[in-house]
Amino acid sequence: VRKYIARRLLYAIPTLIGISIIVFAISRLAPGDPVQLYTFGIQDITQADVDRIRAAHGLDKPMPLQYITWATNAIQGDFGRSIIYPSQNASRLIIERIPNTIQLAVAALLLQLLIGVPLGIIAALNRGKIIDQIARFFSTIGQAVPDFWMGLVFIIIFSVTLRLLPSQGMLTIGKDQWDLADRLRHIIMPAFVLAFGGIALFTRLLRTETLEVIRQDYIRTAEAKGLTDRVVVYRHALRNALIPVVTALGGVLTFLISGALVIEQVFTWPGVGQLTFQSAVAKDYPVVMAGVMIASTMLVISYLLRDLTYALVDPRIKVG
Amino acid sequence: MAAAHRTSRALVAVFAASILVATGCTTGGPAATTAPTAAATVAVQKGGRIIEGTFSDIRTLQPVLVADTPSGRITDLIYDRLIQADPQNGEPKPRMATFTAGAGGKSYTFTLNANANWSDGKPIIAEDWATGVKAVAMSKITVRKSDFSNIEGFQEFADGKATTISGIVIDPANPKKWTVTLKAVQCDGIFQMSGYTLPAHVFGKYVAAGQADAIDKAAENDNPTVFSGPYKFKEWRKGDQVILTRNDSYWQGAPHTDEYVYKVVADATVLAAQLKTGELNFGTIEPKDLADMERVDSVKISKYQNLGYTYIGWRVNSPTATALADKRVRQALAYGLNMDDVIKAVLFGEGQKQVAHHVPVQWAYPAPATLNAYPYDTAKAEQLIKDAGYTKGADGFYAKDGKTISFTIRTNSGNKTRETLAQVAAEQYKKIGVDAKTQFEAFQGLVTQLQEGHQSIEAVIIGWALGNSVDPYTIWHSSNTPDPATKKTGFNFTFFKSAEVDKAIEEGRSPASGDCSVATRKGHYATMNKILNEEQPYNFGFANNTLAVTAKNLENFKPGPFSAIYNMHEWWFKK
Repeated sequence: VRKYIARRLLYAIPTLIGISIIVFAISRLAPGDPVQLYTFGIQDITQADVDRIRAAHGLDKPMPLQYITWATNAIQGDFGRSIIYPSQNASRLIIERIPNTIQLAVAALLLQLLIGVPLGIIAALNRGKIIDQIARFFSTIGQAVPDFWMGLVFIIIFSVTLRLLPSQGMLTIGKDQWDLADRLRHIIMPAFVLAFGGIALFTRLLRTETLEVIRQDYIRTAEAKGLTDRVVVYRHALRNALIPVVTALGGVLTFLISGALVIEQVFTWPGVGQLTFQSAVAKDYPVVMAGVMIASTMLVISYLLRDLTYALVDPRIKVG
Repeated sequence: MAAAHRTSRALVAVFAASILVATGCTTGGPAATTAPTAAATVAVQKGGRIIEGTFSDIRTLQPVLVADTPSGRITDLIYDRLIQADPQNGEPKPRMATFTAGAGGKSYTFTLNANANWSDGKPIIAEDWATGVKAVAMSKITVRKSDFSNIEGFQEFADGKATTISGIVIDPANPKKWTVTLKAVQCDGIFQMSGYTLPAHVFGKYVAAGQADAIDKAAENDNPTVFSGPYKFKEWRKGDQVILTRNDSYWQGAPHTDEYVYKVVADATVLAAQLKTGELNFGTIEPKDLADMERVDSVKISKYQNLGYTYIGWRVNSPTATALADKRVRQALAYGLNMDDVIKAVLFGEGQKQVAHHVPVQWAYPAPATLNAYPYDTAKAEQLIKDAGYTKGADGFYAKDGKTISFTIRTNSGNKTRETLAQVAAEQYKKIGVDAKTQFEAFQGLVTQLQEGHQSIEAVIIGWALGNSVDPYTIWHSSNTPDPATKKTGFNFTFFKSAEVDKAIEEGRSPASGDCSVATRKGHYATMNKILNEEQPYNFGFANNTLAVTAKNLENFKPGPFSAIYNMHEWWFKK
């Protein structure tokens, strides 16, 4: 297994290099110059000032050379200095916010699994009944409704109209950092909105898989043996139905990381997504690159974890 | 003081409502509902927390590296300034220091207040101010070099050719007193020189000769430990909030409130909602939210004219929209747009029409009678177009030599005010036989194209936030015209050039005579504004009102045209 992990990580290297070249090129070829944006409207700014700041960030060099310099430093963990946060390192800015994004992503993932999986099974076991139809209705909505829109609707309902939940940030001003109840109140809405699509996905997936699995011979055998429905479903059916869930998990993680970009913006959640979005707007190349590379690395690792999880739920699959 | 002062120095393009709000640099007009009498009769109650809403997080806590309005707000609250603009008329007034101008306007002598101490008890001295100047000299990424480049010996120090700045001489008998000698007269220089007083006992080690750009990487930049302003830095939760606490040793007396929080919110709608619920107790709203806010009992609204304007710039040398080169056509475009309607539509009446560069609350604003007000008059507009040699075709558009008067007004997408202005303008210009189209695009690309002088720009809607300085050099002087051939960039992106305007600007900025009196400078700016008003390189659009909302029980909030937060240490909450 150790060998397998090492090999997978080795394969990740060309992927990451590819991503870095593409993002580097796209960010620089898109219209707009970061230093001109940074200095726009500053009284008495001179061409010499603009040129000096550009040189300080290495933006006066030819693009290929800029990339090589960036890559050389990035390998050593130095993603350069942010352009718009003048006294901050790009990697530090990103790393500081990773815990916030992980909190949100984990909360959303838990909601997806805790709601989506049981809902799918219940729907399958009650196929065609009212509860199945409700579940299917919500899973369709969840797939179709864009999350930023739902975020705004939730804010209007739960924050503005009902005044039940805070709409912005992670913590009420003046509350202690460790006030968990307050944190929970803040995370519930963004996490739920972020999770909604995934809940729908898992519900659909589990419903289809469970329907498939309960028609299998071994289930009939189990039932024939006189096992209770409960045992049949949970011990025999569920375990097999969960395999595609693990497959989907990798995709869901990707979605949670990318989806958080929008949700963090809507709920002013100070995570990596909010920072990367704002950096892209300001064309803060070093931060965009650091954000994308760190997210890509997390993704590569999450895929690896997914594949290792396969072995746990399905003894037929062996890694290595 | 503060925010207004900061923006004062920056023309900071108003590219989003966020900046407008963050600017908060309030202006003029009736400070409607503030009640100064309350403070006089009721005993001040201590405590409470000011929570201000902003759309943008700060980016640094090092004043030398500030290039944006939110960061300026915070650094101005933790590092006090030598000079402040009078909140009502913008004139330079002593704050932490008094000043006297030397003969000929080429030197200034400053004396720091005897009570001015750092929060660690050390006195604030001339060397602290010099530390700020040296930091600017040595930084590779500051945008503030021009603040001090006029000081004798500044460049030599920046280039490493000298170990001290020869133009700064500290009084050997009084460490709180010093004289600054300038290379040339700079009438508005006093604001710029007000600069950045940094604790020498903290930052001195980064600006010693031979330290290169160590100041850019100083650990204390974003984790400051010693303060001169009314508040002390406590915490910066990035992307979320900045928390400041009361500075008990503040030289003007400890602030009445315990804390100040600068809270990032998603947008104007959220900001307005949070002002209503009391989650915020200070912020600036958009005109569309005003009527709703007026129904809220727990807040009060202060209105003042904003120190800036939104305009349509005409590219006078456009190779494609050649008609814009003709002054008569540009004048027709002023007569042909009912700006009062626009102000009603996009600002709900909270603004006023502009017909020249300076805004009414600035002392440089000329007597209105000297300017053409360009009242809405389609007949006159069409007559001017005809005078310019155009005839109306079957399609209803005017044309000359087979070329229709046609151009595209571009602006940044997402800014509803500007998008609406563009749409209304295009619609109304069609009525006077002008084929105007609109195009909305990303701010980033647009700004770069403007500054680089791209040929494709025909007309653009954008805004200027003006500051304490009335000097329009960066916007209107011909030397600030972009030049794509030499890759020179600049803010005079309509390519309007006038020797007379140049001369007026130069005389108002750095007169050969050394005469920086308001009366004389006012004459120069009247000349400039008269020409701009006549030539119409911009349709000068409108200046909007700032709509500041505070909790009803916040006392002593007395914003003036040039600053809203100059007296924040005196604000208090009535319980």
